[in-house]
Amino acid sequence: MHGAAAQETVKIGIPVGLSGANSVVAPSVVQSSELAAEEINAAGGILGQQVELVVADDGSGAQGAQRAFDSLVFQSDVDVLISMETSAARNAGLPIVNRAGKPFIYTSFYEGRSCSPWMYVDAWVPEQQVMPIVDHFADNLSAKSFYLIGSDYDFGRGMLEFTRSYIEERGGKVLGEEYLPMDGSDWTAIISDLKSKNPDALITSTAGGAPNVTLTKQLRNAGVTIPYGNLAVDEGTAKNMGGDATGIFISQSYLTGIESPENQKFLAAMKAKFGDELKTPNDLSVPQYEAIYLYKAAVEKAGSTDPQAVVDALPEVSYTGPRGPIQMNKQHHTPLTMYMGQVTAEGGVEVIKTFDNVDPGEQCPNL
Amino acid sequence: MATLFLDILTTASMLFIVAAGLMIILGVMKLINFAHGAFLTVGGYAVHVVTDAGYNAWLTIPAAAAVGFLLGVVVERLVVRPLYSRPLDAILATWGLGIVIAQVIVFIFGREVQFAASPISGTAELLATTYSAWRLILVGAAVILGVLLTALLYLTRFGLNARAVIMNEDLARGLGIDSVRVRAMTFGLGAALACAAGALITPLLSVDPNMGLPWLVNSFMLVLVSGVAIPGLALASLLLGGAQVLVSTFVSPIIGGITIVVLAAVILRIKPQGLSRG
Repeated sequence: MHGAAAQETVKIGIPVGLSGANSVVAPSVVQSSELAAEEINAAGGILGQQVELVVADDGSGAQGAQRAFDSLVFQSDVDVLISMETSAARNAGLPIVNRAGKPFIYTSFYEGRSCSPWMYVDAWVPEQQVMPIVDHFADNLSAKSFYLIGSDYDFGRGMLEFTRSYIEERGGKVLGEEYLPMDGSDWTAIISDLKSKNPDALITSTAGGAPNVTLTKQLRNAGVTIPYGNLAVDEGTAKNMGGDATGIFISQSYLTGIESPENQKFLAAMKAKFGDELKTPNDLSVPQYEAIYLYKAAVEKAGSTDPQAVVDALPEVSYTGPRGPIQMNKQHHTPLTMYMGQVTAEGGVEVIKTFDNVDPGEQCPNL
Repeated sequence: MATLFLDILTTASMLFIVAAGLMIILGVMKLINFAHGAFLTVGGYAVHVVTDAGYNAWLTIPAAAAVGFLLGVVVERLVVRPLYSRPLDAILATWGLGIVIAQVIVFIFGREVQFAASPISGTAELLATTYSAWRLILVGAAVILGVLLTALLYLTRFGLNARAVIMNEDLARGLGIDSVRVRAMTFGLGAALACAAGALITPLLSVDPNMGLPWLVNSFMLVLVSGVAIPGLALASLLLGGAQVLVSTFVSPIIGGITIVVLAAVILRIKPQGLSRG
């Protein structure tokens, strides 16, 4: 159906976890989307047409995603899907995207290797996030032995599996790798095991929110002070942990402390638009903002919203946003500037090292 | 070895503190309060509110207990008492109440994890090992709680009335004991204990709308196994809590999480009246 010229708006479908596991972070994603749409519309829209956001709840899971994608693609007939969601939701939505032939920009960091001719990813994969932390621990903090703790699900296990193989590739040793179910909060036995094995450093990949807090609190209560790299904590949760989070190393493609002019402008605009209701921008909401601009650039390059033309144009356009320059030209993924930070006593994050242009590796060799 | 021993002791203490409120309500009112997990959560949020406002973290425990007592008395009057003659419906009502409380918390505070300061942090030296200071304090708290509850039950008029109602409510009423008032006070006490327990375990947990839910199942199984007796609850806590720690340590933490439930089912199969004598 060639309706691009006859349509009055460019519709961006946003399936996101308004309920369920992602419900804590979804509001920030919706906020950054709203800002992007507002800015683009104020500057004349995309190819002269106003941008309209259509948000649908995917319940943070497979069933909800199926419903959300179906309604966005077949009922609302959106021009593109741009969203952050759980891997379960993404895996359920991808067949619908493939069947309908709509461009889909996935804006969440994830375990990697999800491929489709219609999907592009502008967030990090383990190759980009894990290596800076392990390198820093091994090279600068003389860590030779590591202990890994995670939540028992796809992402937790996937991240730690990658971490283990990278550590061993570097000649380090993994003394223990333990998991708890996602809603588990009693880390007692694991922490006692960690203390008895006496590793040089700890790396964790739990589900976001509560497990991060319970694990960190119990670690500190048990007197564990070795270098602690957390692959899954965000600035907001770190701030709410009070003093317990001090010293934790995190590796993200976005930190509010990034000093670029693009980030300052972005933060000022978010504060102006949302005031007290502002949810802290984070590594899940900023890629969403940039993805909308990337879509705009692709449509302008292609000269229309025709799905195939846009999909062909996406790897060729780039956008410099709060995270720096983004171009999804590496097997549908993008090289990124990774920031390694450390949580301060006040709950903020201090950037201690920046890694430019970190390659995502072989994500989709067949595309 | 010392660490394992302390792990078992502190885990048992936490279980005892958390389950005590549920047991009291079960004993006097023959009612499983499925809002117990929600009361734990309320206790956690009490800690958040009190410490966020800048007050001393030690005040959170009496504050939580006070909030819990008030909440319990109100809930008993509005939700439980009208369903006195329909015990199964009353249990369902408490389940619904738990859901409502959790959602009200989301309305007021949002879904995110909230900040809550701890009264003390760090470790202490004990038995030639460094161990979490707060966990050790919980052992003391459990002992004090056990002593206070026993004193309440055996040395006070209220305790006498409560024990009569536990043994045989109709007979107690026949003797002139106002069982309605006993039930109201008991529910208030059970809720106060649940909220105080929530406040006591907050330093080790995160304050979020569902923080109490995992403890509900374990408390439920513990209370079924222990029967209505404080020594029974202490024994059950040591036994089941110890088993959980042993399985988590030597088999896997994931399987350790279901140890209490499985072991409770086994014990009840062998000895349906649980660990208490009657």
